[in-house]
Amino acid sequence: MHKGYLCLVLHGHLPFVRHPEHEDFLEEDWLYEAITETYIPLILVFEKLLHDKVDFRLTMSLSPTLMSMLMDGLLQERYSKHISRLIELAHKEVERTRWQHEFQSLAISYLNNFCLARDTFEKYGRNLINAFRSFQDAGKIEIITCAATHGYFPLMDVCRSSLRAQVKVAVAHYEKALGRKPAGIWLPECGYVPGHDEILRESGIRYFITDSHGVLHGTPRPKYGVFAPVYCKGTGVACFGRDLESSKQVWSSIEGYPGDYFYREFYRDIGFDLDYEYIKPYIHPDGVRINTGIKYYRITGSEDKQPYNPHIARDKAAAHAGNFMFNREKQVEYLFDFMKKKPMILSPYDAELFGHWWYEGPSWLDFLIRKIAFDQKTIRMITPSEYLYENPRNQVITPSLSSWGWKGYSEMWLQGANDWIYRHLHETSFKMNELVKSFSNTDGLARRALNQALRELLLAQSSDWAFIMGTGTHISYAVKRTKDHILRFLRLYEDINGNSIDQEWLSDIENKDNIFPDIDYRVHQ
Amino acid sequence: MTIIRRIKAKLKEMVEKNKKISPTPKTAVTASRKTAPATKSISERIFGRKTTKQVQERPKQEFLGETEVSVGKAKFYTGQVVRAPRVMPQELPYQYDRDRNILQVRDPWWLHCYWEVRTATWERLKYELKDDFYRAQKVLRVYDVTSIIFDGTNAHRFFDIQINEHATNWYIDSGGSGRSWCVDYGLLLPDGRFITIVRSNTVTTPIEGPSWITDEEWMIPEEMFARLYGMGFGLGRSSPVGKAWQERVRRQLYSGAMASPGLASMASPVKKAKERKFWMVVNTELILYGATEPDATVYVQDREIKLRPDGTFSLRFALPDGKQVIPVKGISADRQEERVITPIVTRETK
Repeated sequence: MHKGYLCLVLHGHLPFVRHPEHEDFLEEDWLYEAITETYIPLILVFEKLLHDKVDFRLTMSLSPTLMSMLMDGLLQERYSKHISRLIELAHKEVERTRWQHEFQSLAISYLNNFCLARDTFEKYGRNLINAFRSFQDAGKIEIITCAATHGYFPLMDVCRSSLRAQVKVAVAHYEKALGRKPAGIWLPECGYVPGHDEILRESGIRYFITDSHGVLHGTPRPKYGVFAPVYCKGTGVACFGRDLESSKQVWSSIEGYPGDYFYREFYRDIGFDLDYEYIKPYIHPDGVRINTGIKYYRITGSEDKQPYNPHIARDKAAAHAGNFMFNREKQVEYLFDFMKKKPMILSPYDAELFGHWWYEGPSWLDFLIRKIAFDQKTIRMITPSEYLYENPRNQVITPSLSSWGWKGYSEMWLQGANDWIYRHLHETSFKMNELVKSFSNTDGLARRALNQALRELLLAQSSDWAFIMGTGTHISYAVKRTKDHILRFLRLYEDINGNSIDQEWLSDIENKDNIFPDIDYRVHQ
Repeated sequence: MTIIRRIKAKLKEMVEKNKKISPTPKTAVTASRKTAPATKSISERIFGRKTTKQVQERPKQEFLGETEVSVGKAKFYTGQVVRAPRVMPQELPYQYDRDRNILQVRDPWWLHCYWEVRTATWERLKYELKDDFYRAQKVLRVYDVTSIIFDGTNAHRFFDIQINEHATNWYIDSGGSGRSWCVDYGLLLPDGRFITIVRSNTVTTPIEGPSWITDEEWMIPEEMFARLYGMGFGLGRSSPVGKAWQERVRRQLYSGAMASPGLASMASPVKKAKERKFWMVVNTELILYGATEPDATVYVQDREIKLRPDGTFSLRFALPDGKQVIPVKGISADRQEERVITPIVTRETK
């Protein structure tokens, strides 16, 4: 008989980056890399588990921006080209490394992986959402939603109508793509402010996830700490707190698994390492060196990097999965004795940790799931929905304002480098309120313009822009995106009010910022 | 709102009419700001000067060929630019003509507020306060309004922060977590009077530790809670909560940066450069190339290679230390002839 639950949550998100106006756009690579290195490897792991009839549970949030990009025809076409180019490069690498056996075998495995990625991509009709939907329909994965464009809620608190729009647009988008309503939501960056649960409840969302202190610093004191969910006072929306011990084992740079010396080194990519003339066709057309995804070295632990050995790395991933499971068993046994109740251990991770950053992550997950299914009886994998179904009685508290970002609150998104944006973001949100009030019922061109205004507003609100500005590197794109969307909104606002909508220009930005085709601007209220 | 729109529409109509009657830019400029840029651009296009009037008034200053150029320009002028495409501004507005003060929570201790004051409001204040206005200090008054409905007078306490003359935002050390705050941006007059210009919204900072409030129905002994709390922070059973927090802050510094969506790849070249001070890497590659009949078959080290349509070929190999014997064998299409050429390459690194 098991003594507790393990709930793994993978948060999948990328900001909406789609530039039909440019043939080649550097930041679009974020998506292509994520597809090749994270989403397809995860899909392959899940397929194999289903094929082998291994029972498992996983919770995944897919942000509406990520989903929109995965479903977008232009980006699909571009990914197809991207992966074909990688396959071509891998072929050349197999040839080039003929006299270096340890590299050639790696080049061959990259070639195989890229071909497999292309085949998988085509198999699902180029729309990977089809894959995730099938895993959800098979009852193995619970997909939850996220805010429409990953707006950071604590710094939108003065714009409740924008919060509502972020949630409602996300829910409608989820429903259309996945054929059901989302049970839960991943609050962007786990940013929660007491009272926002009301907005979630309005949209029929039953639970969300916070960082540990969101629950632990709640009022009154949560009896079971983060090891049982709580209901928000006044709304009954459930809140699950993150367990830091299990998170740390995977995240931490010091103790975490991904730092093992036998794992693949992220920073040694042939895009940077090889002769310029040779690699030029596979990097950015402007000649800027970028990651290609072909990496031959392991972390090693010193500057003298050694060649990567996938067999040793795979054994390591198996050992780390065993270690993780063992630690969870011990944790659950201890907590079960202590709490006299089955503890819930919820471990959320950024999905891109698996594969993109931690190359062996998908294998680790595969081993972990299989080990849990066959090698032990203490823990059971569960989704938050199942937990609530089986354990409906939970304490009622008011969780605390919190996020899972740097220092646990809002400083990452509110500091000298990015605080200037809120003046504009809030103003545009207030202006959107005005528009909705003045034009409560419209059609034709005005309606199109109003819908586009909301799209621009939502796109400007992505927490990613503030985050990138906060990190201080490569900020120009984030600054430009923030300004572009706000400026487009302001012009729409003027044109709508002046009854002088420029149809040609509107069509142009509708084509560029084509997210949420079915949006209804009236959700912003 | 609808009235305003109607007036705007009417104005527009008038402008259009004006244009038809007298196309001189001057009327258009005064009639509506909106049509001004378009009209201006026409006059600039034709005369290269600011207004028609100026040019007409000072005909002697005309530059040689100017008339010809403008006539020429006018000839190719298609009339489409009457509604010249509006150029998108590149910069955001500095202000939005509002009286506003927005307060946000950064963490349990720190608040951030930004504000904006309309020019008209400044003018009114100058008018009302006369000379006092110039002697007044710009101040943020921070009110502790925990658990009350603040009416401007009933705060538990308040403190003032003297701020820079031209500041439009400020980080405030509130000095108390788990409390509610409201901030006035205003003027402190020499006689001690405080004039509120804009009042902020009210925010509540989170508490920085577990709550003291317990729930009768869900009681837990203090010591047991402390253990759960310590575990929640991932530090095992015995760690004191205070330490846990310190550790957490340190750890979060890392994971916050790692939570980046796709940023790891963007950051890579930068990180690489930072980690190493001086470094050098040398690698060698070998290019093997040649040509034969386009329909011949060529083997390099016993593996068939692909020829270009013109019969040339070129291969590139990473060249490790040691000796490489590279037999290149060409066989004619009719299988009657064969050539073998074997370069031998030795790399030695010292």
